[in-house]
Amino acid sequence: MSEGTSVPFGPQHPVLPEPIQLRISLEDENVVQALPALGYVHRGIEKAGELNDFQQNVFLVERVCGICSSIHALAYCLAVEAVLGLEAPKRASYLRVVWMELHRIHSHLLYLGLLAEAFGFESLFMEFWRVRERVMDLLEMTAGNRVIISVCTIGGVRRDIDAEQARAIREELPKLRDEARRLVDSLLSDYTVRQRTVGKGTIPAALALELGAVGPTLRGSGVAQDMRMAGYAAYGELEFRPVTFPDGDTYSRTAVRAEEVFQSIDLVLAALDNLPEGDLKVGFKGRPEGAALARVEAPRGELIYMVVGNGTKNLERMRVRVPTYANIPALLTVLPGCEFADVPVVTLSIDPCISCTER
Amino acid sequence: MARMLRSVLHNAFSKPATRPFPEAPRAAFEKARGLVTFDCTDCRFCGACALKCPTGAIRVVREERKILFEPFKCIVCGACLEACRFGSVQMGPERRKPVYEKPVEVYTKPEADKPATPQDRNE
Repeated sequence: MSEGTSVPFGPQHPVLPEPIQLRISLEDENVVQALPALGYVHRGIEKAGELNDFQQNVFLVERVCGICSSIHALAYCLAVEAVLGLEAPKRASYLRVVWMELHRIHSHLLYLGLLAEAFGFESLFMEFWRVRERVMDLLEMTAGNRVIISVCTIGGVRRDIDAEQARAIREELPKLRDEARRLVDSLLSDYTVRQRTVGKGTIPAALALELGAVGPTLRGSGVAQDMRMAGYAAYGELEFRPVTFPDGDTYSRTAVRAEEVFQSIDLVLAALDNLPEGDLKVGFKGRPEGAALARVEAPRGELIYMVVGNGTKNLERMRVRVPTYANIPALLTVLPGCEFADVPVVTLSIDPCISCTER
Repeated sequence: MARMLRSVLHNAFSKPATRPFPEAPRAAFEKARGLVTFDCTDCRFCGACALKCPTGAIRVVREERKILFEPFKCIVCGACLEACRFGSVQMGPERRKPVYEKPVEVYTKPEADKPATPQDRNE
């Protein structure tokens, strides 16, 4: 387009925590084309996973992503356990649910804060992150670290939640739910926020399915697809229904994440109530031989790990398919037609995690 | 207006949500993962910790009966702690203090008369 304007959006942009460039072609104020440029934070983790011992890889894959780190470890452990023919003990499965859902809460609160900041609503951003900090404290109290909690291991978990810690979580989460409810209400009912999000970047359900969108991006279009329904770890035994909102716009995607915070709080409490006694991990002998696939629900959508073992301590291949990778086509399809001023908010609404995408 | 006044009064008289960090840092949680240290009293220098370490922060020199530990490679995952059968690896809740140079800590078996471990050394 000769008379159009081309604007590089990123790789450094205030709303993007991580580097991705969108080359945006404009016709007046309207976007006509968006092209992605990736590759700023590629670290070669998949290759490193083939060079490391398969047990040490648990610590490596946790470092794929800074926000959903333990969920990567869970997916990797489930894949290796499938290759080795192991099954984690019941207690370990429930503890995994507790930690994964705490992780989901902190990831979604992070997103809600960042979205508020993208509008310039900075006091709400700080309020969300203040609440999030208490989830981080719960993680540090139970697992020892704030983000990269290293609790999953092949065949089970490495830490236990004792009665006192469970009591602390049970006391803290209802308080946290009340505070988060107040903040979510003020985010979702605010006039300015509604003006900036309702009807922006609409992905119809059929298009989202066709483009292979996953997670809250898909559920925000009204499709009830959630990998937790497959029942890995202890999700099969806990009651839970995927949160969906029908409109497919930025507002719906935000509302899905907001409601999932409360759903996750309920899941943590339910898992703690039903926590069975028993071992934390099963021992195993032998080395992985064969291939297996694990699909789990990360905060941003479906996360797939494929592991191919060849009978040695190194893996033949470790393949990671992350949710943001699946959501970028949907984003690029809805950006044309938006106004340029809406690009940051619509881009943020798929909650892009570039470190995951490039590994 | 009344609602606003309530918020104003609440904010004016409530304590801040943040901690007065440099003056009064928060006490570490009891089970937090922090400083890794070695106690070589019962150590057999078998090298299990070095084998399990995902970052290669530990080197065990069996002939010299020494453990070389690079704390700045350590990711405090605790794999060495689980690998050791003799209770020679400890992990405390405190964080490591900032330093100017990255040290290599050398741990040896304490002699009867000199219990001095570790000796810091720069390579």
